[in-house]
Amino acid sequence: MTVPAIRVQGLVRDFPKVRALDHLSFDVPAGIVFGFLGPNGAGKTTVIRVLLGLVNPTEGRTEVFGVDPRTGGEQVRQHAGALLEHNGVYERLTALQNLDFFGRAWHMSSGDRAARIRELLSQFGLWERRDESVGGWSRGMKQKLAVARAVLHRPRLVFLDEPTAGLDPVASASLRDDLARLAQQEGVTIFLTTHNLAEAERLCSLVGVIRRGQLLDFGTPAELRSARGAPIVRIGGRGLTDEVVQGLALTPGVGGVERDREEIRVQLVPGADVGAIVAWLVGAGVAIEEVRRDRASFEDVFLELVSSEGDKAPGVTR
Amino acid sequence: MMHDVWTVARKEWLEIFDQLLRFKRGGWSILLIIAFLGVISPLQLGTSWLSSPLMFFYWPLLTTSMTSTLIADSIAGERERHTLETLLASRLSDTAIILGKILAAVMYGFAFAATNLLIGWTVVNLKHGHGELLTIPAPRVAALLSLILGGSFFISGIGVFVSLRAATVRQAQQTFGVIILLLMMAPVIFAQFVAPERQANIISRASELGLETLSLRVAGGLGALALALNVAAIRRFKRGAVVLD
Ligand SMILES: Nc1ncnc2c1ncn2[C@@H]1O[C@H](COP(=O)(O)OP(=O)(O)OP(=O)(O)O)[C@@H](O)[C@H]1O
Ligand SMILES: [Mg+2]
Repeated sequence: MTVPAIRVQGLVRDFPKVRALDHLSFDVPAGIVFGFLGPNGAGKTTVIRVLLGLVNPTEGRTEVFGVDPRTGGEQVRQHAGALLEHNGVYERLTALQNLDFFGRAWHMSSGDRAARIRELLSQFGLWERRDESVGGWSRGMKQKLAVARAVLHRPRLVFLDEPTAGLDPVASASLRDDLARLAQQEGVTIFLTTHNLAEAERLCSLVGVIRRGQLLDFGTPAELRSARGAPIVRIGGRGLTDEVVQGLALTPGVGGVERDREEIRVQLVPGADVGAIVAWLVGAGVAIEEVRRDRASFEDVFLELVSSEGDKAPGVTR
Repeated sequence: MMHDVWTVARKEWLEIFDQLLRFKRGGWSILLIIAFLGVISPLQLGTSWLSSPLMFFYWPLLTTSMTSTLIADSIAGERERHTLETLLASRLSDTAIILGKILAAVMYGFAFAATNLLIGWTVVNLKHGHGELLTIPAPRVAALLSLILGGSFFISGIGVFVSLRAATVRQAQQTFGVIILLLMMAPVIFAQFVAPERQANIISRASELGLETLSLRVAGGLGALALALNVAAIRRFKRGAVVLD
C-alpha cells in the first residue's frame, strides 16, 4: 500500500479553554480532493495548522507523506502550499511582488518564476493588474491571488481553508474546475475546508465531517448520503391540511412529515409501503397531483450529522 | 540559508519603500530629517561639521530610531495584518525569517545614515570646499559607522523580542518606547548608583581613549549584546510556539 498523503492518528489539541481536537483519526490518500467539513469552531483550521507544523499537537501523531510535521516541518512545507484562514497577501506589495516573494522563498529559478506567475495571474484574470498594490483590491481578487500563491511552486499537497469564500459564482466554479484538474491531471492532493456543501459534494471524492474536534463521519459523499439519508417521498396535491399532515405522521411506515411549500416531504422508515401511504392520503380526501421518490440531500445529511441529534444517530464513528 | 535571509529582507524593503513613496509611516518626517541633517546642519556648521563630536551622538541616535520603527513592525506587523501564518506556512526557516527581518532593519538604518553622511559631506564640500576636497579622517568615519551599525544591531535585537510578543504594531511600539526611554536613562542611573570617585575615574579613562577608540569599544560592546539578543530571539521564534494571531 502506498503512503497516504495525510495520516492523522489519535490527534488531540487542547487550548486553555477548549479541547479543539479530540482523538481525531483518518487517512487521506494521495491525488484526491478531500473535503473537511464541520460547523464553525469544529477544529478544521486547527487540523491544517497541525499538519503544516504551525501548531503542535497535545497528543497523537500526524504524518504528511510519511513525515511528521512536528519534526520534519521544513520537508512538509517544502512540498505543501496553503491558503489559510486569512488570505495572507501583502497588501503593500503588488500582485507580482507578492508572488515573486513566495517564488523566491521556494527557490524557483527566476525564469520559472516569471513564467509561472504569468500563467497563474492570467488564468485568474489578474495579469492586467499585476503592478497594482493589492491593498486596493476586492476581497475576491485577493482570494484569487492567494490561491495562485498556494499553487505557485507546484506543491504535491495544497491546503485550502475556505478557498471560495468571497468569490463570485463564476470564479468559484472556475476555481473548482482548476482544483479538480490539479488533482486528476497532476496528481496533486487537495485538502480543503468549505461551508458550501454543494461544492463539497461536487468536488470532493472523500469527505470528513467533524464537530467539536471529533470525527462524525468519513467517506465519499455518496456513501454519506446512502448511509444516513433516509428515503423520502415528496407528495404534492390539494387538501394537504394540517390535520392530514398530523394524521399522516402517525401512519405506519412514516418516520416524519415536513411541509415544503406546496408539497409535503415524507420520511420513510425502512421497508415502508409507499402505495399504502398514498392510499391513506386519498382516503383522507387529498387530491394527489404528484408523488416523487427523493433522497436526502447532502445538506440534509450534514445537518443531521452535526445537529445535536447527530450524537444519538446510529453508526456514529468516534 | 543566506538566499532565504535575503529573500525576506528584500520583501521588507519593498514593503517599506511602498510606504515611504506614499508618504505614510514617516515618509514626510524622513524627508525633513534628510533636509535638516544632510543639508541645513552642514551648511550652518561649515567645515566644523566634519569634525563635530556631536556627530557621534545624533547619527547613531537617528539611525537607531529608523531601525526601531522597522523592527517593531517586523513580527507584530505580520501578525496584525494577518500575514504571519502564511509566511510561516512557507518553506522559509524560522531563523531565515528572523534574520531577514533584522538584516532589513539594520541595513535600512545604516543605509539611511550613510546616505545622509554622504549628502552632508557633499554639501560641505560644495559650499566650503573652495575647489579643495575636504575629508573626514578615515578612522573617524570607521568609528562613526561602527557605532551606527552596533547601535542599530543592538536596537533591532531588543525590537525583535518586543515585536515577537506584541499582538499589534502599536503595542510593540509602546513597549519598545518604554524600553528605549529606560536605556536613555542609563546615564542617570550611572550617576545615581556609581560612587562619585569611580565616576570620575571612568570618565577620565574614557576621555583618555579619545572619541574614536571609545566609539569603537562601545560599538563592540553593543554588537556583542546584540548578538546575544539575536541568538535568543532566534531560539524563541519557533513554529508551533509562536502566537499566530
Ligand atoms: N490559538 C487558539 N487559542 C485558543 N483557542 C483556539 C485557538 N485556535 C483555535 N481555538 C479554538 O479551537 C476550536 C477550533 O477552532 P478552528 O479554528 O479549528 O475551527 P474551524 O473548524 O476552523 O471553524 P471555522 O469554520 O469557523 O473556521 C475553537 O473552539 C477555537 O476557539
Ligand atoms: Mg476555520
